[in-house]
Amino acid sequence: MAPFKDEQIMIIAPGSQTTLAQLGLPESFTPARFRMRSRMFPASKEGEWEPYKVRRKDKQPGEYDTTSGNELEDDIAYEEDPVSEEGAVWPMAEGRITNWPCFFALLTHIYNALNPTFHTPILLVAQPCWTARDHERLTEFFFEKFKMPAFALIDSATATCYAYGVPTATVVDVGLGKADITAVLDFIVHDHGRIIALPKCGGEAMTQRLLELLNAKKFTREMCEQLKKSSICEILPPGVPLPGTAGAESEEVTNPAAAASTGASASGPGHRIAGGAMGDVPLGPGPGTEVGDGKLDEDNEGVLDVASIVTSGNMAEILAKKEREKAEKAASRKKGADAAAAQAKQIKLPNSRKEKATFMYEDHALLDTLKGMNLSDEKMAEAQATLDEGAGKKADAPAESTVEPTSAIEPTTATAFPVAAKTGPIRREIEVGTERFQAASGGILEKIADGIHRTISAVENVNRRSELWESLIILGNGSKTRGFKEALMATIQTKYVISPSSATMFTSELPSNLSTPAGTGANTPQPQLGPHGVGGPGTGTGVNPLLLAATTAQNPHLQPQPPQSNGMSTPGGPPSLHQPPNMHSSHGQTPTTVRMVKVPEYFPEWKEAGYDEAAFLGAQTAAKVLFIVDQGVSKGFMTRSDYNDEGPRGISDYSM
Amino acid sequence: MAVPNQFSAPVAEYGGDEVSALVLDPGYSTVRAGFAGEDVPKSVVPSHYGLLSSGEKLYGENAVHNPLAKMEIKSPYTSDGIVEDWETATKIWEWSITSRLTGQSENKRNGYVGDKNGNGDGDVDMEAAEAVEEEEKPMGDAPLLMSEPGWAQGKLREKSLEVAMEEWGSPAFYLARTGVLSAFSMGKSTALVIDIGASTTTVTPIVDGMALRKGIQKSPLAGNFVSNQLRLIFQQSPTPVPLVPHYMVQSKTPVDAGVPSAATYKKFETPPTDSFRHFEEERVLTEFKESVVQTWEGPGPLAQSEEHVKNFPGRPFEMPDGWNQVFGVERYKAVEGLFDAKAAIADAESPAPRQDQCIVELVRASLNAVDVDIRANLLANVVVVGGSSLLVGLNRRILNQLEAAFPGPKVRLSASQNTVERKYASWIGGSILGSLGAFHQMWISKREYEEHGTSIVDKRCK
Ligand SMILES: Nc1ncnc2c1ncn2[C@@H]1O[C@H](COP(=O)(O)OP(=O)(O)O)[C@@H](O)[C@H]1O
Repeated sequence: MAPFKDEQIMIIAPGSQTTLAQLGLPESFTPARFRMRSRMFPASKEGEWEPYKVRRKDKQPGEYDTTSGNELEDDIAYEEDPVSEEGAVWPMAEGRITNWPCFFALLTHIYNALNPTFHTPILLVAQPCWTARDHERLTEFFFEKFKMPAFALIDSATATCYAYGVPTATVVDVGLGKADITAVLDFIVHDHGRIIALPKCGGEAMTQRLLELLNAKKFTREMCEQLKKSSICEILPPGVPLPGTAGAESEEVTNPAAAASTGASASGPGHRIAGGAMGDVPLGPGPGTEVGDGKLDEDNEGVLDVASIVTSGNMAEILAKKEREKAEKAASRKKGADAAAAQAKQIKLPNSRKEKATFMYEDHALLDTLKGMNLSDEKMAEAQATLDEGAGKKADAPAESTVEPTSAIEPTTATAFPVAAKTGPIRREIEVGTERFQAASGGILEKIADGIHRTISAVENVNRRSELWESLIILGNGSKTRGFKEALMATIQTKYVISPSSATMFTSELPSNLSTPAGTGANTPQPQLGPHGVGGPGTGTGVNPLLLAATTAQNPHLQPQPPQSNGMSTPGGPPSLHQPPNMHSSHGQTPTTVRMVKVPEYFPEWKEAGYDEAAFLGAQTAAKVLFIVDQGVSKGFMTRSDYNDEGPRGISDYSM
Repeated sequence: MAVPNQFSAPVAEYGGDEVSALVLDPGYSTVRAGFAGEDVPKSVVPSHYGLLSSGEKLYGENAVHNPLAKMEIKSPYTSDGIVEDWETATKIWEWSITSRLTGQSENKRNGYVGDKNGNGDGDVDMEAAEAVEEEEKPMGDAPLLMSEPGWAQGKLREKSLEVAMEEWGSPAFYLARTGVLSAFSMGKSTALVIDIGASTTTVTPIVDGMALRKGIQKSPLAGNFVSNQLRLIFQQSPTPVPLVPHYMVQSKTPVDAGVPSAATYKKFETPPTDSFRHFEEERVLTEFKESVVQTWEGPGPLAQSEEHVKNFPGRPFEMPDGWNQVFGVERYKAVEGLFDAKAAIADAESPAPRQDQCIVELVRASLNAVDVDIRANLLANVVVVGGSSLLVGLNRRILNQLEAAFPGPKVRLSASQNTVERKYASWIGGSILGSLGAFHQMWISKREYEEHGTSIVDKRCK
């Protein structure tokens, strides 16, 4: 077999919500070039799938098509809608593959879109919850369907360790509907005690929690989802009071912005000051500013459901109202100097001390409604322009994304599939109170912290537990919510960290033979034969030892190294000041300290994008080693002829 | 590259090396499951389950540790390690396999069945998929090697075979004794295996790969007994030790040794059940066993040397609520009852054990039940396994006491230095056995089961 080249390698990392993929390894690794929402649409022919929603576009009798000649054609037209997700089927739930035909269709779509060569090996990043049989099934599918020359599987937790360049770590991957917690020791996943798909511990749980809290204010799930991703939603460490509550400083209670946007004036304080701190500057009109219009403001207390107003036939009315509002706003912007002055003070307050803040909501439902109304292109554009409150506030999105690389729309999707996106989003501005600090108040942090404790406590080798506590990697898009990681670390700190005992602090030198209660039964004779003495086939526990040796030898940065830590090792608690390193070395209990692994710095693009999808970076590293450097010497991948000899079950020998 | 796919050809009947058997090793505390030929079980799940007031049963690690209101934590076993609720036990064992190894049976529906007609458009062959679905039972595609405690008898064994064949659809089955498998894991076919688990300690004499039934001894002095001793020590301490599990604590604050905790406790609308609390307390006790408890090395009882042991350094332990203390001689007392019945701590609910239940007496009874001429060989091949054998110093004590009790023959004791091998010894033995080429003739096939019924298990799996 001809050797593989960088540009031939394909990596696919399926996730419940987003699937990442890439063809070719760049010289310096970059975040996945291809991002695909993990869903397909049933095609009109049963059993077939489409990557986009296909919308039937009926022509209304009274409406002309601008391009002549169309009238002669069939009355029904179809158009692909790259934004809509109505009727989509998501083949994975909490990482599990729940709809195989749809999942296979998704993989096929990605494969075709990447358009690889015949000589393309594939590395698939496996979800922790996939079973051994799932691995076999996927192996069979890939070989039978794509007939590629080589295939390998890498567990997402192992891949994460490759990305961070640490052989041993506790990987906490917070996803959409679940969290996975894995202890990895010397690049080997510790299966026992691995927390797989801890339910209600992903980003969705936080969205749902916000929805619970904001339901009364007429927030929809989609609004809560976008709120969660915005920079005004923040998770405060345990014990930090909410602004405006008894524990918070009193000056915040008199919040000028809060007064300004609670309905006192219909126009609110104008526009956002470009470059304002984190884009937190409150903007009007928010909820409660919709005064003075009999039909439209039935819900002074909540958010206006524009979409349903539009469908109920009040379209003209709301458009007129919006026009009016915009005009007023423009006017106030000119003479808004005093309002801006009032805000100047406000800007300096960090988000966490403000009782209220606003964010830009992209109203997809409204857009869908408009599209469903079969408006002419011209009318459509007009309605959109009128309803969009975000236009001219371009500073918004970039400002946010530098702080938090989150955005409601996955930008690269559009680049990967250049489908004429003639309709942009409609943005609306929404104000939220302290509910925005309570996304994690449903207990998600405690559950994850307890999961970490269980995972590490299940590691039989007691001596390695402190190393695992000192090498936490928290990642996954669910953990992107502002303050999440810090709050999780603080939760662990307040609940699990063992303080040095006052009784032993000054008599610390215990006999050294007591310092390792590993229970290895010292002084017992060695067994004559190891577990494979009776002919056990030396299959690895997941990693082929040769492969491990090869991969670490080739990559200096993967060599075992002492755990590094970054600055936020013990938020909310005393750093190691009170814990002289050797004071209680004989303490058998863990953790005595918790730390996060320092993020890797080798790849500038990744550094910029953030490491929430670091498993993909690790997969790139692994792919480079397996397919290019090692070229199969260490049996790091399954070739087509291996597959023909061993069948799908052989894959367990090649996965890591 | 268009090589014809070998795997469209029918698979050889259970003999094919490419079909790795499933190995299932159920214990009182955990169920171990995985594929034969692998080093460690991929799946280790709790044997306890959650029972909701609706009657719904929840399985697995994530479920049983979730502090839900009104969820009882139950075990399908009696406290001395005998399955009493077969229906639930079956479900838990099945779960250990489907959750990590084979997937739920629903998962297999509508699978990719290959491009039968080679058109390559990825269409799923619906008919074939449906045919597969009808056949599919959760474990229908691999033979199953299951372990059972050496003292299990007639009906219990037949029940296992029945479950495997009828409920799981296993194409072939074998039932092996845990003692024999543990000996295999140490590369021995003749051994005296002492397995100290959670609910029971079992001593099994094995010669040439066969357990000598009459010599098998069983006692309730094992891990749960030690946990219970700890509870009593905590309660009877001059200032009682607060055993507060993690879920009850909101946040803790460091306090001086022996001083009451200054923690903030979590408020529950409906606090979790007592059985849940008990189960979570066990987590703390296991941590205590791992990091504080130690075995007096003997050979004489601790009682004789207590004054001496009092001078040994203590070890600190911090409870989840921050309360902490240094434990001195108490940390030796929790294990002493395994060796010296008189030293066991007792109260009204936990009566003192009998001396004949202690480990060395079990060995003596076992040896007395077998031929005189094999005793020396067995004593030269003592194997210690099980989670509770990890208690620090335990093996040394066993060795010292055996040497004192049997001064004639040479006593040799083997225990793996590797914690994992010690904890999962019987599973590992099953993994080795199940992947041996010569083992294939041992399977009870579906056909044989249909022909002979459950009684075949006693003939085949001796
Ligand atoms: N490191 C350790 N030190 C002491 N006891 C331990 C240790 N690890 C586990 N145990 C105890 O071992 C018991 C479980 O042993 P195991 O052999 O798995 O039992 P079973 O086979 O009955 O499920 C439990 O009582 C647990 O508390």
